[in-house]
Amino acid sequence: MPPVFDTPAIDYHAFAPEIAMVVTLVVLLFVDLVFEERGRWATATVAGIGLLASVVPVLSLAVDGADRSLFGGAYVVDNFALVLKALFLVAGYVTVLISTDYIADGDYYEGEYYFMLVSSLLGMTVMASARDLISIFVALEMLSIPAYLLAGWRKRDLRGNEASLKYYLLGVFASAVMLYGMSLVFGVSGSTLLVDINQAISRGVDSVPLVTVGIVFIVVGFAFKVSAVPFHTWAPDTYQGAPTPITAFLSVASKAAGFAALVQIVFIGFLGREDVWAPMFWVLAALTMTVGNLIALRQTNLVRLLAYSSVAQAGFMLAPFAVAADIPADRGGVGAATGAVVTYLLIYAGMNLGAFAVVMAVARKTRSAEISAYGGLFAYAPGLAVLMGVFVFSLAGIPPLAGWYAKFVVFKTLLDAGTVAAVTLAVVAVVNSVIALFYYASVARQMIMEPAPEAETARVRVPGSLGAALGICAVATLAFGAFPGLIAQLGDLALLGVLP
Amino acid sequence: MVDTVVFLVAAVVILVGALGVIFSRNPVHSALMLVMTLFGVAVLFVAQGAHFLAAVQVIVYAGAIVVLFLFVIMLLGVDTAENLSSEPLAGQRPAAAVVAVASVGLLAVLAVRAVQVSTGAEATTLPLDSERSNIAVLAEVLFTDYLFAFEVTSVLLVIAVVGAVVMARRPRPAATDELEDDGSDGDDLGVERHTQTEAELA
Repeated sequence: MPPVFDTPAIDYHAFAPEIAMVVTLVVLLFVDLVFEERGRWATATVAGIGLLASVVPVLSLAVDGADRSLFGGAYVVDNFALVLKALFLVAGYVTVLISTDYIADGDYYEGEYYFMLVSSLLGMTVMASARDLISIFVALEMLSIPAYLLAGWRKRDLRGNEASLKYYLLGVFASAVMLYGMSLVFGVSGSTLLVDINQAISRGVDSVPLVTVGIVFIVVGFAFKVSAVPFHTWAPDTYQGAPTPITAFLSVASKAAGFAALVQIVFIGFLGREDVWAPMFWVLAALTMTVGNLIALRQTNLVRLLAYSSVAQAGFMLAPFAVAADIPADRGGVGAATGAVVTYLLIYAGMNLGAFAVVMAVARKTRSAEISAYGGLFAYAPGLAVLMGVFVFSLAGIPPLAGWYAKFVVFKTLLDAGTVAAVTLAVVAVVNSVIALFYYASVARQMIMEPAPEAETARVRVPGSLGAALGICAVATLAFGAFPGLIAQLGDLALLGVLP
Repeated sequence: MVDTVVFLVAAVVILVGALGVIFSRNPVHSALMLVMTLFGVAVLFVAQGAHFLAAVQVIVYAGAIVVLFLFVIMLLGVDTAENLSSEPLAGQRPAAAVVAVASVGLLAVLAVRAVQVSTGAEATTLPLDSERSNIAVLAEVLFTDYLFAFEVTSVLLVIAVVGAVVMARRPRPAATDELEDDGSDGDDLGVERHTQTEAELA
């Protein structure tokens, strides 16, 4: 008797963004193959158009509004997934914009660069919808493997090699730890679906040690991904050695993907076992904020400073996890924590990409990312200096810039939870905001007060695509700060469709 | 009867292979002996009805991993005589002895305990469809519930291949000359054009 297979129902509309991205990948490979050197200039355009085209189905799915669940719940397209997919695609588009001139000017492989970039984004969009352990793992590898390669794109530069190697080795180690945790959780629950795992582990009291070890390993694995202290050691060297557009990409999109996975795994799969993960996240958040900020204070290189500042920012995003289970239902419960994380991610993406775009624009002239090279920037490039000021003060959380609202949402979540632990964490976060202001403000002071080194005051020429990226980031940072209602709606929308 | 014979033959193959790995003077022989051991284990899997595991054992362990071992051995050179008296890590031998004794002790404890708790029942964690082999069950799951992950993995492999090619390829020595008239983006950056942008950034 031939075996009878039930063909799985496939909703192609739900997959449309991913399909559009795979088509983009194929087109990129073909452009590179057929036109060779003559087609190099086109690859950036193809990648940009492909990413924008992939946003269209995301919008049409959002307009449609219905939650879609495929493969028995392994792949879910809900508002949470759509908001994050849009974030990844737009962040990817901005990365293409800031990469265009950098990659074309240096002697790099261009077609493959954009191929890798779009591949990594494809993994991220899959991650936003993945609701079972296998999909999550495949998505994680798909976003990580191109990222390891991109980090080492400067093949002849020793720091580039170091960046790639450290990122790769620690990333693989984290994947292995996480996979081990997943296998333990699967062994106890008998399912890879997050919803079923939740049923199994929040019900039974047997196998408690196994569940605990499994949860700890999985969270640790993702802590590497989001560069939480003490698993952050790869971040500064990788950020410094990677090509600057990739540093921006890693610190924004890759980190956001890690948080997307954490939100899904923790708030769907492990809800009900907060006795295990809430204290972990508390310690991770407090350590990440404090250590990231204290080391950032001592940096003299702006890229390293932004690297440590992005570590510290991750601490703020981890804070809502620590208190999620304590938020009363009338204040939104776990949904409020999800909203806070997503809101923070959206705002952080705009301001951090913007800061890196300014670094790249200035480096085109000064050839340096040392903070001392920023002296006198306000005098000879007032536009760039003002933009840099907007981005760093937004990162510091000064109203009326967008970063203020991101921090506000996190504080609100912490205070809504109201437990002693939550309030303590809020105090730690406030102290850290003040520390962060020191080093962000020192960048502004350097630009305005200090004279230019060697009195170099030639104009900084900003290429069109880099200017467009700066414009997008600046508009996002200013608009979300002035009208936080815009982003609040997105954050409230971004609820997980399928809760246990 | 057949089961017992299969087990005995496989056990002999495994043990001879394992001893061969340790006692071969030539590392290539050791690696080949390892193949023998892994093959014996695969036979045992078949005897237990775990056909999928048996196939994986042969393809992944006996195939891919040992080939990788051989690559490394060949790259390091088989001709170099092994200097067995040297000790690259200080205290390696005493540590190995301690670990060996501890492992044997653990095994002994397990063996003694097993006599008391062993029920002789076949190990299963989930009820399998007894009508079909586990390969058919796996295939059905792979092409229904996990179809998406399966397809995405195929894309992932393509990405990894492209990445490996990029990383392995040598940079073109005279890249600047080719770039001169490729007509790529029209902006005029003059000297900066071919320098490695921001090499000093680091």
